[in-house]
Amino acid sequence: MSKKKVVTSGGIEVREKPLGLRIWNNRGYYVMFLPVLIFLLIMHYWPMLGVRYAFYDYKPVGAKTFVGFDHFAKMFSTPAFWTAFWNTLELSIANLVLTNVSAVVVSIFLNEMKNLFAKKTLQTVIYLPHFMSWAVVASIFSLFLSPSSTGMVNGLLRDWGILKEADKNIYFLANTTWWRPIYWFIQVWKETGWGTIIYLATLSGINPELYEAADIDGATRMQKIRFVTLPALTNTIITVLILNLAKVMNLFESVFVLYNNAVFEVSDVIATYIYRQTFAIALPNYGYSTAVGLFRSLVGCVLVLICNYASKRVRGRGIV
Amino acid sequence: MAKEMVSKKPGDKLHVFDVVNYIVFILIGLVIIVPIWKVVVDSFNKVGVYQFMLWPNSFTLDGYKTIIGTQQLYMPFVISVVTTLLGTLLGLVLSTLGGYVLVQFDMPGRNLFAYILLFTMIFSGGMIPEYLVMRRLGLVNNWWILVVKHGMNVYNLVLMRNFFEGIPGSLYEAAKIDGCSPMGIFFKIVLPLSKAALASIGLMFSVAVWNDYSTVKIYITDPLQVNFQYKLRNMIMDGDTPITGYKVSQSTLYNAGIISAVLPFMILYPFLQKYFVKGVNIGAVKE
Repeated sequence: MSKKKVVTSGGIEVREKPLGLRIWNNRGYYVMFLPVLIFLLIMHYWPMLGVRYAFYDYKPVGAKTFVGFDHFAKMFSTPAFWTAFWNTLELSIANLVLTNVSAVVVSIFLNEMKNLFAKKTLQTVIYLPHFMSWAVVASIFSLFLSPSSTGMVNGLLRDWGILKEADKNIYFLANTTWWRPIYWFIQVWKETGWGTIIYLATLSGINPELYEAADIDGATRMQKIRFVTLPALTNTIITVLILNLAKVMNLFESVFVLYNNAVFEVSDVIATYIYRQTFAIALPNYGYSTAVGLFRSLVGCVLVLICNYASKRVRGRGIV
Repeated sequence: MAKEMVSKKPGDKLHVFDVVNYIVFILIGLVIIVPIWKVVVDSFNKVGVYQFMLWPNSFTLDGYKTIIGTQQLYMPFVISVVTTLLGTLLGLVLSTLGGYVLVQFDMPGRNLFAYILLFTMIFSGGMIPEYLVMRRLGLVNNWWILVVKHGMNVYNLVLMRNFFEGIPGSLYEAAKIDGCSPMGIFFKIVLPLSKAALASIGLMFSVAVWNDYSTVKIYITDPLQVNFQYKLRNMIMDGDTPITGYKVSQSTLYNAGIISAVLPFMILYPFLQKYFVKGVNIGAVKE
């Protein structure tokens, strides 16, 4: 055991020191890790023990009673839960596709821009919304789309004659037809720019000789984009998709700030469902909301493991 | 350079493509700027109008004065500032310590530490068990929750570790031979070499704390403990407007609120953009 040979950086083979001595020699590092460990245990591992409540009735008053899988049975037979589950998948997968398609397109054409000043200015502008919180973005768009007399969109629709004298202003964010398109628009508005960073980094690494070769073959600008630029991005696109697919169950804040009780059927996601089951009803059963949360964590866990496997296959290293 | 030379070749349809490209990007830029600029202008406008204007037609600072003068509005702002500073500090302390220990490859137990960190990225207890633990710790209805919750961030810790990994090991060894303690190496060698990473990751922490809404919504009901993002969204979208002594129009106040909520980072943004961007590249694609 302690007879193991190790090679030092000088290339000399020496016998490994005994474990006790190695631990003692590294004592300083253990002390430095202690605060991290304490926070980790309190913030992450202690709550993990709490998943046992998924099998209990646990109300703000009264004792906890063991109920087995009752909460799961109730959950799987509740239509609102399934609505939330499918909404989570639909909303976040669409987010992922839309923001990445637009980020790829924007970065390809940004890359074609020869004027460096224009390019830098545009980058500064399109990154900007990423730093605004979801609460701020929701506030901006709720004023922008507001049905009141100061809502710009409704005002313009009236000016342009699309909304007639007799029509009421459209309450976009409380309308089941409009909510999703608007949500996706806001998502694209906020995150496209930030999404381009990673693609632009890849594009800057393309060998210019490839473009020269294409020129010699008489390729047009669009053909160069199609046959040189786009293939160069494929790996990055796959990587980004895999990394983000692992997070689809995490969808929360963007919906949380934009939804309201008029549009639950198209907007409610698992996390917001858990929130309401706990904090927006008179007598919550923590057991039930923990069970829904456990389901969410488990699905998330499976997704991470699948994506980790896919990532190892595609690019030779995992995501965790 | 070579690329530019060839693309000037005649018959390359250079002009049409470039003109269209510029027009499209001007439109994209406008789509982003128009909603933001409307908020800026409306925050200085005495009365709310739906029209887009380049400049306020009746200038007033009442919106901002109301925010500074109303406790229900300035308290959340102060809490936002304090939690952001403390959260960033705690976050940097924990992520540098953790990241540094994780690059001690000859330390017994290093892998164990790595695994217990990474496991939290795969599985979590969920919103409710977390809430119950925090309640037991007295962090419900207490703004410290924002500091504590963001301070421990495994993702940022791993970013920091990735950065430390790039510091040549010979530097550590030389320092060890000179009798430097682990702490000494940390403060005298590692941190001074990591200023860029500290700036990037520090910014990531501060943006995360400043922008947080959900944590406040879940954990805090006391109106004197909430942060500004929460107060703002509630005011605008849930009609939770404080009664003020000022005669300020709702539109002016709301828009001034939005500007106040983004102001700190918008002021810093042009100067720190490179650090913001660097944060993405340390983490994601290293190939």
